[in-house]
Formats: sequence, structure tokens, C-alpha cells
Amino acid sequence: MTLTITRSGRRPAHTAPSARWRSRKVQGWLYAAPTAVIVGVLFIAPLALVVWMSLNRWPLLGQATFNAPDNYRKIGENPLFIDAVLFTLKYTAITTVLLSAVALGLALLVQDRRPGIGFFRTAFFLPGAVGFAAAGLLFYGMLNNDFGPIDPLLQALHVTSEPVKWIGTPNMALFSTIALVLWRFAGFNMLILLTGLQAIPTEVYEAARSDGANRWQVFTKITLPLLRPTLALMLILSVTGSLLAFDQFFVFTNGGPDNSTVSMVMVVYRDAFFRFDLGGAAALSVVLLVALVGLNTVMMRRLR
Amino acid sequence: MRRRLAGISLLGVLALTAAACGSGGGGGGGAKPSEGPATITMWTRAATQAQSERLVKAYNSSHKNIQVKLTVIPTDNYQPRIAAAAGAKQLPDVFAADVIFVPNYTSQGLFMDITDRIAKLPYKDSLAPSHMKLGTLDGKQYTLPHTLDLSVWFWNKDLYQKAGLDPEKGPKSLKEFAQQATTIQEKLGKDGKVHGTFFGGNCGGCYVFTFWPSVWAAGGQVMNPEGTQSLNDQAAMTDVFKIWRDLYEKKVTGPTAKEEQGPTWTGFFPKGEIGVMPMPSTTLGLMPKDMKIGVTPIAGPDGGESTFVGGDSVGISATTKNPDAAWDFLSWTVSDEAQVEIMAKNKDVLARTDLAGNKYSAEDPRVVLINSLVAKGQTPYALRFGQTFNDPQGPWLRLAREAVFGDASKVPQLNAEITKSLQQ
Amino acid sequence: MSRYLTLSALAVLFLFPLVWSGYASLEEPSNYLEMARFGEGLGTYATNSVLVSVMTVAGTLVISALGGYGFARFDFPGKNVLFLATLAILMVPYATILIPLYVLLGYLGLQNSLVGLSLVLVMFQLPFALFMMRNAFEALPRELEEAALVDGCGTFRAFARILLHAVRPALITVGLFAFLASWNDFFAPLILLNDGASFTLPVAVVSMTQHTFGAIDYGMLQAGVMVMAVPCLILFIVLQRHYVRGFMSGALRG
Repeated sequence: MTLTITRSGRRPAHTAPSARWRSRKVQGWLYAAPTAVIVGVLFIAPLALVVWMSLNRWPLLGQATFNAPDNYRKIGENPLFIDAVLFTLKYTAITTVLLSAVALGLALLVQDRRPGIGFFRTAFFLPGAVGFAAAGLLFYGMLNNDFGPIDPLLQALHVTSEPVKWIGTPNMALFSTIALVLWRFAGFNMLILLTGLQAIPTEVYEAARSDGANRWQVFTKITLPLLRPTLALMLILSVTGSLLAFDQFFVFTNGGPDNSTVSMVMVVYRDAFFRFDLGGAAALSVVLLVALVGLNTVMMRRLR
Repeated sequence: MRRRLAGISLLGVLALTAAACGSGGGGGGGAKPSEGPATITMWTRAATQAQSERLVKAYNSSHKNIQVKLTVIPTDNYQPRIAAAAGAKQLPDVFAADVIFVPNYTSQGLFMDITDRIAKLPYKDSLAPSHMKLGTLDGKQYTLPHTLDLSVWFWNKDLYQKAGLDPEKGPKSLKEFAQQATTIQEKLGKDGKVHGTFFGGNCGGCYVFTFWPSVWAAGGQVMNPEGTQSLNDQAAMTDVFKIWRDLYEKKVTGPTAKEEQGPTWTGFFPKGEIGVMPMPSTTLGLMPKDMKIGVTPIAGPDGGESTFVGGDSVGISATTKNPDAAWDFLSWTVSDEAQVEIMAKNKDVLARTDLAGNKYSAEDPRVVLINSLVAKGQTPYALRFGQTFNDPQGPWLRLAREAVFGDASKVPQLNAEITKSLQQ
Repeated sequence: MSRYLTLSALAVLFLFPLVWSGYASLEEPSNYLEMARFGEGLGTYATNSVLVSVMTVAGTLVISALGGYGFARFDFPGKNVLFLATLAILMVPYATILIPLYVLLGYLGLQNSLVGLSLVLVMFQLPFALFMMRNAFEALPRELEEAALVDGCGTFRAFARILLHAVRPALITVGLFAFLASWNDFFAPLILLNDGASFTLPVAVVSMTQHTFGAIDYGMLQAGVMVMAVPCLILFIVLQRHYVRGFMSGALRG
């Protein structure tokens, strides 16, 4: 591979300092230092407080009292949470598969420069500009049987003959929520994948072409393997995002009908803000964090 | 090189900090105590913003020494906001809260004891009784009524006329309500747009607000006075459920009643699509100007009248450094001046029962009616109200849905779960 | 041609909710007027939102570009731990960590400040941004950097003058995501700001739409969605050009 960097003309012609490699470690640290500061101060420190809260009975005002491990023991006795775990896992599996497939499809469709392609990229990406809570309410209105536009439209096209209970049954509520999530996030993930696709050198494709590979072979043998780091990022975002799903259910389905769409974080939210059990909510969060870190470590190992 | 790199890393941080300094002032952040007049901070939820805003504005323009700074917080997120502020000891000087949550807040110690201050008010005995009851814990008083929102039946006079009903006569009992709604449905419902009635069938707070008054009107109760025992499996409640269940099964309610989570439940009536339904009294002022609306108290199956006295109470936070200034504002909001010239003038429900007949009340008899209900209505008391009745994952919503749409035989068992939740 | 048919059908699906929202919001234009006058006035909230977004984007870009390069090209003790710790930010329920953060910002004197809010939003953006930038730097041919180093650049100058240009698509993606996240974020400003005058647009818009007993004012909601989305649309269209330029190298594929 030849280096044809046009910008190299800007290189200043200084002579090399001698001990360049000596301090790679220190240099690495310096580059990472701002990250470390932000993560340490704004994440690790509050996280330590969450862990401490989880070991206490934590009233809104007044003194906390140490009660470990009561908050953790309670988790196993909470049937709402056990159901929520199962539901969230199901939701995550379906969403991740569909979202990855749709995003990859969109990215492949719009990766090349063609007339009008900018319009399509914008169209797919634009839903990401709507706040998630607002998007939930928007879908709630759009799918309303009484004044929403979807039912009359589907009936006019003879797709359905009567109003559909979009959030009226557990399965439909899940289906509608996934539609909302795909609408809102497919463009995001498409863009992540586009950035990854762009980093694959053209020469690799040309080489494969000249070796007589067909499109499918190019896709499976070149695009997918070289897209691996990007796919890993997208999968981690999708899996963690889905496991921590909140707004889509809190705003759009309210966890209903009849508690059939209650996600894990909704239980955390309920404990913290309806029951003011801040200690219990913190314990749930710690358990979720440990499980997610474990899961993602395994995922990253397999994807590296 | 090393030093330069460190410098660059620092530079990024500095740039942030510099930007920081510029904007901190510009954004109006920083609760620095200002010189001169005392400034007290007040929070309210968006649902009752209009009333709070009017009161604060009038107070600020007539008081030079104390100024109130009002912050409006989205309704659905008011609880987390209060919880976070309390956890960080950063509550505002004064905050309003949905009256239903007040017992819980009080028991958590969020409000300051103002018993002695209230005792000095000449009109202390005419403050909205149910709000005052919820603001009392162990004989001590913590809150004043702030804004009131009552559940009443609205009927659409034009639809009544078209359906051949007497447009000037609303229902006097829940059974009459059901008959009139059914007539509207049968006469006008063929286009699929107009419906006899409507209710929020997947919304715990809506059930409480619109169904319970029928129980009270019939002389029944939904909980024991301590709020630790649910009585929602008793005949007074199940009779009411049955009538509504019947309406739903006969398709007299709008088709989306079963799925309605709250966002659109008050939206159908102003469109002229509903014959008669329970509505919050505060929406009366928001109805289309040319719409002819009758208002009548919610009744029991065979008559009587009652209402759910909702709305916000307001108290001084336990952490305030300015209790005197805060009380000056609070006591002013229930004074004759504020109640008549601000609340009554804007057709809001008054926080005091002795002012129900005032110089503005003659303008609209419906407002007089609503005001007269304040003394008759109830606000149920329970420490664990929110997590039991409002929370969509709480046990009440499951009970109400089984009773109206599902298997009514599950009610006794679910009622036991409500009691369990109340006693947590 | 079939590609364009597929694309058009998909575009209709993706744009439909927004078009419906825009259309419905224009049926009642008074919503926009009411919105402009709400609370402190739309201008105040918009200014706050712009300040927060600009600070968040700047902070995210600087920190993740430096960090991404460090993680891609250097080995140092604690590297994996720091990377995992950064990713773990994604894995904590938002609502729970915000209360401790609120307490902590109080200690730092950054409570109720747009700067404090921006720093928190930078933190929430870091996992994605750092991962993205690390991938981007790793994908660059080593020769690019070595050539610069041979030419006498220190690593930082190689980074600043050459490598940053080469990862521009990733920078734009990271910046765009940071913008959208901070522009739309609702819960962090809600919890971390005390004062109505420093609220951002999403908090104000949600306040405008919520009425008593959970009722939503759909006219206001739809107008709010439009007001919030238009700046994003403009930004994306502007950046789109950079995207296309960045993708030139891939334009030969078919």
C-alpha cells in the first residue's frame, strides 16, 4: 500500500529529536489524562456514592442508616423485577437483531455518493433529532385509534379493516415499541456504520474485485470482517441501551398493558421515585452495572 | 515535549473552564443571595403553573421587600426532581405538590411545621378542609391549599339537544349518567366519532379521580381513615365498576378507553365528541369559547354528590433559611385579596370556603357550583398513595382494569394487594 | 432504479411521523406564539440549550480525540481499566447516578450551572466518543504517523497536524452525536438545574405540554418537536457535505 497523503506537503522539516520513544508510556497517559479526570470525578466518584447508598437505608432527608445487605436481599423478593428481567432480555434480543439488520441495510444503501443520496441519509437520520420522550408521546398520538393518522391510512390502503390495538395487547405493545425504537435509532446506527465503512481502504475492494469476487463474497469476506470494530461498538450500544431501556416504556406504554412491558430500569425508577427507596434503587443499579460490565466484557472479547 | 503535552491537556480543561465562567452568569445560574430584597425560590409542577404564575406575579408587584422566583417543573417528573433536591439538601424555600403526595412528603420531613403560623390566620377554619387534612401529621400542620382541581361531570349541551335529551338537565345519579350516555351513543354514535362517554382506562390516577366520588356520594369509603386498609372490594366500589363495565361492553365509551394512559383523556370532550364524562374542573376555562357545557357534581349510582378535591398544596421546605419571607408569601396567597382578585377573577377554585360567594362568582353559576363542592368533596389520605394508586405498576390499576375490562372475580385478591402496598 | 424505490419507500416511513407532526402543528399556529411567550421566553431556553450544546460538543471532541489517539497508539499501565471504566458509563441507569452527581456538583460549586451540566453531558458522551475515536485512529495506517514522526514532528504535532485531518469523519460523527444528545437531553438538565431561568429547551417544552392528570397538549407537543428538530436538520444538512467529502474514497464501490 502506498502512502499518497496530499496533506503531507504541510509537514514541517524539523530534524528528529533523539529520544522519541523513551516516554511513550507517559505520553499515552497524558493523552488519556483528560478522559481519566472526567471519568474519575464525574463517574467513579458518584458511582462510589451509589454503591454506598446501596448499603444503607437512605431517606430523602436526614441520616442514612447502614443496613447491608438488606437492599440486595430485597431484590430477589421483588416479583416485578424478576418479570422485568425476563421481559427486558426478550426486548433486547429482538431489538438488537432488528436494529443491527436495519442499520446495516440502510448504511449499505446510502454508502456511495449518488445523486440525492444526501436527502435519504438526512431522512433516515432525522428522527434522531426528536427527543426520546417526545418521540414516545408522538407515537402514542400517531397510533391513537381515535385521532391518529395511521389507522385511517392503513384502512385506506386496505392493509387493515379495523383499528389496530397498537398498545392494547402485550405483543402489540412490544411490537409498537420496537417500531418506535427502530424509527428513532436506525439512523444513528446507520451513521456509525457509515463511518466504519468509510475507513475501509478502497484498495482492498479493488484487489478483491480484480480477484473476481462477487458482491456477496466482498460483503462477507471483506466488508463484515473489516467492519468488526464498528459493529462491536454498535452492538455494545444497542445491547446496553436496550437492557437499560426506560423512556420508550415509561412514556409510550407506561409498562402496560397490565405490566407486560415493564423494563428493569422502570423498576429502578419506581423504587427511587415512587417509593423513595433510594437505597433499594441503588442496589438494583449496582446489580445491573455488574451484570452489564460482565456481559460486555465477554462480548468485546469475542468481537475483538 | 512532555511539558508541552501536559500544557495542551490542561488547555482543553482550561478552555472548558473559561467557557464556564462566561456562561455561568449569562445562564442566570448560581443562586447567590442578592443584596436588598429577600428572594425566595418556589417550585411548582407544570400542571398548575398558570395559577402559581399569576399569584407570584401579583405578589412580586405589590411587595418590594420580598420577591418570589418561580420555577416550573414538568409534571411527570416532579417527584424525581423533589427527591433529588431533598437528597442533596437543595430544596427551594417554598414548593407546591400534588395534594395526594403531601402526606408522604410530610412523613419524610420535607416540609416545615407551620402549625403556629396557621393558627394566627383569622380565616384558618375556612381553608379547604380536605387539603388541610392531608397536610396534617400527628396534629401538626405543614401545608396550605394552593390550587384546587375538582372532578365534576361535564355534559355537552349541543349533543344532548341533537340526541333529544334536555340540554339543561345533566345526570343526577350514575345510573342516569349511564342512560344519557347510552342515548347519545345510540342516537349520534353511528359516525364512529361521537361517543356517549369516556374515561382513562389504563391510568390509575384517572380512575381514582373520576370513579371514587361516586363511592363517596353513595356514602361509601375507599380506604379506612388512616389510609392503611383498602375497601375497594366492597359493594360501594364494585357497584360503580359494574356500571362503567356495562358502558364499556355496550361500546358507549370511546374505543380507546381501555388503552388510555392519560395523555389524551381530557382531549376528546373539547372536540365535541363526547356526550357526558368526568373532567377536571380546571379544564373548564380551557374549553372552546363557543361550546355549551353543563357542569354537575359527580353522583353515586342512585344519587348524592361528591368530588375528588385534587390540586396542589404548598408548604415551606424544611431546609429553608428564609421561613419568615416564605410565610409572608404563603399567607398572602390565601388572603382575601389574592383569593378574590386573582383566583376568583380567573374562575379558579378558591382555597377558602368562606369566599365562595364573591363579587366575581355571579358571572358563572358553574364556578359557584364547583366552589361549593370544595366543602363536600374528599381527598383520600394515605402515606403510600402514589406507589399504590398513581404508579402504573401499582396494584390499584390492575384491580380497576380487572374490574372494568377483565375478570371481576379477582378483585378481592387484588384488594388485598392494595392493602399490602398501603402498609409497606 | 430499484435501489431508489427502496430508498424512497423507507424515506416515507422515516419521515412520516415528522411530516404529520409538522402538518398538525401548523393547523394551530397559535401554539408557536404561546410557546414563544412561555415562562422565561423561548429565547432564554434556546440560548441555554445552545450554550450547553456548544460546550458539550467542544469538550467531547477535545477529550475524545486526545483519548482516542492515546488508546489507539500508546501502551500505558491502566489502559484497559480506564477504557472499561469509561464504557461502564453506558451501563449505569441514568436516573440513579444523577442524584449522586447532583450532590457532587454541589461540592464542586457547579450545581445549577450550565457548565456543570455540560461536563456531565460530556461524561455521558465519552464512552461512545472514545470508542469511536479509538477505532478511527486504529484504522489509520501506521505509516502515516511514522512518516510524520520521521519528518521531525513530535507525536503531538503529528496528531494535531496530520492525524486529526485523517479522522475527520469520525470527529464529525462524534460531534454530531454529542450535539444531538446534549440538545435533546431531558433528565440531566431537569435534575441538575434548580432555576427555571437556566432550563434548556427540552425541559421547557415538556413543561409546556403537560397538563393536569397526565393530559398532554398535542398541539404544543408537535410544535415543540418542530422547534427542537429544525436546528438539528440544518446542522445535519450542513455537515452532510463534509460527510460526502469524507466518503469520496469509497465512491468507487458499486
